[in-house]
Amino acid sequence: MSAGRLRFLSAIVLLFVLSSILMVSVFAVNDREAAVSIIGEAEQSVARAYEAVLDAEGVGANVSGLLVRLNAGAWLLSEASMAFEAGDFEEAIRFSELASEVGGEVLGEAEGLEVEARDAGVGRLRWSVVGSVLGVLVVVCVGLLGYRVFKRRYYRRLLKMRPRVG
Amino acid sequence: MRFQDYRTLFQVACLGFVLLAVSPALSQVVSFPGGGERFSELWLLGSNHMAEDYPFNVRAGEDYSLFLGVGNHLGCSAYYLVYAKFRNQSQSLPNASSSGPSSLSSVYEFRFLVADGDVSETLVTFKILEASVQGNAVVVESVSVNDRAFQVGCSSTWDSDNNGFYFQLFFELWLYNTTGLTFQFHDRFVGIWLNMTG
Repeated sequence: MSAGRLRFLSAIVLLFVLSSILMVSVFAVNDREAAVSIIGEAEQSVARAYEAVLDAEGVGANVSGLLVRLNAGAWLLSEASMAFEAGDFEEAIRFSELASEVGGEVLGEAEGLEVEARDAGVGRLRWSVVGSVLGVLVVVCVGLLGYRVFKRRYYRRLLKMRPRVG
Repeated sequence: MRFQDYRTLFQVACLGFVLLAVSPALSQVVSFPGGGERFSELWLLGSNHMAEDYPFNVRAGEDYSLFLGVGNHLGCSAYYLVYAKFRNQSQSLPNASSSGPSSLSSVYEFRFLVADGDVSETLVTFKILEASVQGNAVVVESVSVNDRAFQVGCSSTWDSDNNGFYFQLFFELWLYNTTGLTFQFHDRFVGIWLNMTG
């Protein structure tokens, strides 16, 4: 083989190796960026779901089931974050997507529960107000009636009294 | 007793009954602040689920276990993040005066969503994966927590006062802040000392 052909072949091989390294690093950077973005979305999804759970809890909804599911989402997020730190971007993306899915489901259900709890709260308030108004009316009527009866008896008893002459 | 006295008594009694009657509606509208202190708990228990038998003399390649627990008494459900960190005697712990976390990288993280008044506990299994003796120091190259390996490159020189090469595995508690939309160090940490023996 001539020196010229050898040089040409070496240049081709070098070019191929360099382009492969470049491609691998470009893909790695892309994977990393994709993982950062998807983990960020999953973080937000779980956080939004947590806030929705808090809102539902605030209006009296029973959120224990949602907390159990959101715990699973949070665990997936931890796994995603640690896989990312270990450089396993594919695993990080997979866990993040699952976490986002759980977050989205919990968010929807928490919002539904919040509406239900709010409606139930309004219904409870309505019945409480009706009950209270009726209660006050009964107290006022019985009070007035009792007062009149007592007053009449008091004065009748007073009139029957005779002054003592010492 | 004069009639005016009876009348006052009558009015007071009526007022009491009226308040009693409106109390259900009032309780729906007026909220009273809950009593008691708001706080979170963080604890470590040994492998027997008791505050004893904590791993202390450790060797590379052996598994050790602990129970990590978080308790919520904040008045509402809480979203916690616990970072496990590994240090030698001279590396930073969380700062008690400035309420700042340790600047070390975490070797593992746990997330818990805990209802108010509830607790959450998890098993932590850790192992010193690689350690070597370099002069008068022991260098722990990597550790694993719950089968996830992490490079630490942490060295400890011989502690002649306590006769050992000491490292610490500690756990920092962080709490999700709904105002700042981020986790913040919750000013609590627990840890165990480990003496590398082999």
